[in-house]
Amino acid sequence: MQRSVLVLVIMSVIMLAFLPWIASDVMLQFAINTLLLATLAQSWNILGGFAGYVSFGNSVFYGLGTYGTAIAMAQFGLPFWVGLMLGALLAVICALIVGLPILRLRGPYFAIATLGLSGVMGAIVSNMDIAGANIGLILPLTRADPMFYELSLGLLVVTTVCVAWLSMSRFGMALIAIREDEDAAGTMGVNTTRYKVAALVLASLFTSIAGGIHAYWITFVDPASAFDPTLNVRMVIMAVFGGSGTVFGPVIGSFLLSTIYELLAFWISTAAALLFGVVIVLAVLFMPKGIADLALAKEPGWRYFLRNVREHRL
Amino acid sequence: MSRKHSFACAIGTLLATAGLAHAQDVIKLGAAVQLTGSEANTGRYYRDAYRLTIDKINAAGGVNVGGKTYHLGLTLLDNQSDVNLGVRQYVQLITSDKVNFLLGPFASNHALNDSSIAEKYQVPMVQGGGASTQIYSRGYKYVFGTLPPADDYYASTLDMLAKADPKPRTVALVAADDSFDVSVAKGTRNHVKDAGMTLAVDQTYREGNADFSTILAEIKSKNVDAILWSGHETEALNFLRQMKGLNVNPTNYYGFTVGVPTEDFRKALGKDADFAFGMTSWLADASLKDRWFGDAIAFAKDYADKYQYAPDYHAASAVADVETFAMAFEQAGSLDPKAVRDAIAKVEFDSVYAHIKYGPNGQIVLPQIVIQIQDGKVVPVYTDRVLNKAYYPIPPWNRRP
Amino acid sequence: MLLAQVLLNGVLLGALYGLMALGMALVWGVLNIVNLAHGALIMLGGYVVYYCYTLLGIDPLLALPVAMASMFATGYLLQRFLLNLIVRGALLNTLLITFGLDVVITYLGQVVFTADFRTINPSYSGANFMLLGLTVPVLRLIAFGIALLLSSALWFLLNKSGLGRAIRATAQNLVAARLYGVDPRQVYAVTFGIGAALAGAAGGLYGMISHLTPYIGSSLTAKSFVIAILGGLANPFKVILGGIVVGVAESLAALYIGPTYTDVVSFLLLVVILVVRPAHALRAA
Repeated sequence: MQRSVLVLVIMSVIMLAFLPWIASDVMLQFAINTLLLATLAQSWNILGGFAGYVSFGNSVFYGLGTYGTAIAMAQFGLPFWVGLMLGALLAVICALIVGLPILRLRGPYFAIATLGLSGVMGAIVSNMDIAGANIGLILPLTRADPMFYELSLGLLVVTTVCVAWLSMSRFGMALIAIREDEDAAGTMGVNTTRYKVAALVLASLFTSIAGGIHAYWITFVDPASAFDPTLNVRMVIMAVFGGSGTVFGPVIGSFLLSTIYELLAFWISTAAALLFGVVIVLAVLFMPKGIADLALAKEPGWRYFLRNVREHRL
Repeated sequence: MSRKHSFACAIGTLLATAGLAHAQDVIKLGAAVQLTGSEANTGRYYRDAYRLTIDKINAAGGVNVGGKTYHLGLTLLDNQSDVNLGVRQYVQLITSDKVNFLLGPFASNHALNDSSIAEKYQVPMVQGGGASTQIYSRGYKYVFGTLPPADDYYASTLDMLAKADPKPRTVALVAADDSFDVSVAKGTRNHVKDAGMTLAVDQTYREGNADFSTILAEIKSKNVDAILWSGHETEALNFLRQMKGLNVNPTNYYGFTVGVPTEDFRKALGKDADFAFGMTSWLADASLKDRWFGDAIAFAKDYADKYQYAPDYHAASAVADVETFAMAFEQAGSLDPKAVRDAIAKVEFDSVYAHIKYGPNGQIVLPQIVIQIQDGKVVPVYTDRVLNKAYYPIPPWNRRP
Repeated sequence: MLLAQVLLNGVLLGALYGLMALGMALVWGVLNIVNLAHGALIMLGGYVVYYCYTLLGIDPLLALPVAMASMFATGYLLQRFLLNLIVRGALLNTLLITFGLDVVITYLGQVVFTADFRTINPSYSGANFMLLGLTVPVLRLIAFGIALLLSSALWFLLNKSGLGRAIRATAQNLVAARLYGVDPRQVYAVTFGIGAALAGAAGGLYGMISHLTPYIGSSLTAKSFVIAILGGLANPFKVILGGIVVGVAESLAALYIGPTYTDVVSFLLLVVILVVRPAHALRAA
């Protein structure tokens, strides 16, 4: 069973790697976007899914990644990979500085403090001249979508491999212990703070690289799109929709939701937002543990849905 | 069921082939515009003006390209006021919907992003929704625009104020912090200096802000003669209402970059809108002649009859965008993107919007018309000469009829 | 003088902020639902007042009770038939479902009300008077008064009435409340209804002081969020005070640091308070 899953995953990655040779430009663009979103959802999953710390501040790392890349390329004329590294460095430093005080907070406090963080960071950047203040920065134009695609795919694979390793390692066990009962984990000798900060740093690293790739691909960054809080909400929704705290849930969740959203946006254009909202409401109602849990359920579909409602209603 | 089904299929195929035969003579224009979301209120001008103009050109027989007649078609997508979605939709328009040429979205931030797609695929885009100078400072070759440069929005106003009696000496400048309004503020600072006035207050506020009471308190304490304001419509609305609530009365003048020309603004404010100055790059005027509409007044009437609301400069500039393509196709005598691009750069004609001629950077140069709301109506008062008598200085709130 | 005027502006506006947050704090404290659709409910309340005024000619201040009643009904139904179904799930799930609701309500708002911006503009909307050399805008003063009035009413309801006891009992211990014969489903729905009614009142006042579009919700949710945390979830007066703190902080920031920094200041305030006093509040009424 385990092995067959592994083979299946490797096969699909190899097949996906050849997509640029057959896909249309629109398809490729959609794919890049989806892969980047999946990376974001997967990174969110490290802290949010395994340790149960719901972060609304991951868009800060995303924004720092985009700005690191943009500042390096647009202001100093440095190559792309230097920009990626600068962005990642900024994000990791930010995660370390911010992580220590904020990860002391639990539950909703933590969620809200991270939300505040993304507001602060956006406002700070929009007042910095080196970051183009509120006007934003323009990166050099590159006509190389296949490169962006392979980069995004590679990043998602690396992130997912990392999460898979995590789920089997001591590190992952510690995070799960924190999620289940942080006080008990602490008394059993788990250094909870160190693990939480490490998880946040790991998440910030992948998130910022995804941001850097997106910045160079779109060729324009401004504070509103770089620190967009709804992006963070999307990460959470995709991770939860797929199944947070699992290895493949966030990836499947983002693939599915991106496809649904894109189809809605292109086919019925104007009512897409409405249907997207309805999908979220229904998903929370009937499958709060995500697709991953639904796939493992033993009873037939409707009974699974009803059981969920019964479990969580008043 | 199967017989009925196959019958329907046959009809469908028939229609499809008929459509196909026809489709060869259509030049497809494409755009992704704000039809829903927070900017839908202005996005509709572009949707409606694009459609109206294309219908008008087709009704007149279409365009003649190298001896062959073509009709114009339009593929319009809804970007939901989302910049990222808009960018993706422009790629869709070019690569999968196979549109031949691009029209623009509304607003500078959208135009900035979407135009880079046009440049990437080397498909000409003519857009009437973004005025930020940043759009044209990137050395792009395939992007043209029909809104005048943001830097000069207050040029004609300050020209008027410099000659006015009494002439304002101290000025407050209030601007939002987005790309377009930062451009406006930057240009305005120079114009204020050139007009021999001093900036007593120079504040930038965060886009989307709804409370101006602190800025207004500061303006009031400095007792300025004029307020020059630049931002978005709802913010202008809040600024003006709070001016009244806090009883802020600049000695001579206050004016806005947006809002004043639109019907919504006047409706929302009622009598409080009176005396406010504003600007527009366009007013329906019989002197603006046009090959397809006749003149601007006829256009405004066609538009209002069809869509039940009056056009403003956004709509007129959208008309000029479509007409630019029509003129360029005929002059190029070909539909090759490169040839059309070169033709647009050289094109020169009269439209309902203005006399169209693009500068070397792709942007049009056009003076703003200073307007004022007088007894609930928009009255043009100044361009480079006096058009109508302005109510000047603006009376304080407690001494109004 | 300038400083005094700026402080006054901050206090008056802050009380309205506090009123916006009041409903969110109540729902959060009692039901443990962080309602991301709260701003959308404020928006709906604003439109109710707008239509009462423009279509029926009811003075907007008199239309506030109409908005409150209709929003109470909306909130009651939402909780009774939708949110009650997931209320025992993880906090994250209630966040997501209310986010979905926000998207749906905003979209429907756009269809029904159109994207045009509106203001509620009664004859006295710009009225003001001088007091000790300061300009006092009448409408903001009225909003300030209404915020105090409604927070007092909520305090009495929670502390001095049978319903209030039932609400507090449910918030503290669901099982015990059941044993005393309280039907939690009913209490939850009523509580959410009260929260929505408060949002409705705030929306009407916001429409008079500022403007309405279907999209104002999300920024108001964020603001309410910050204030609910600052003021805590237990005491209505503290929520209003939290609003005033934010209002004054924003005004001072605009004056001394620059208007582009107002958001930074209010969020920094939030983060600092959370980090310095994590145990502060967050427990039910």
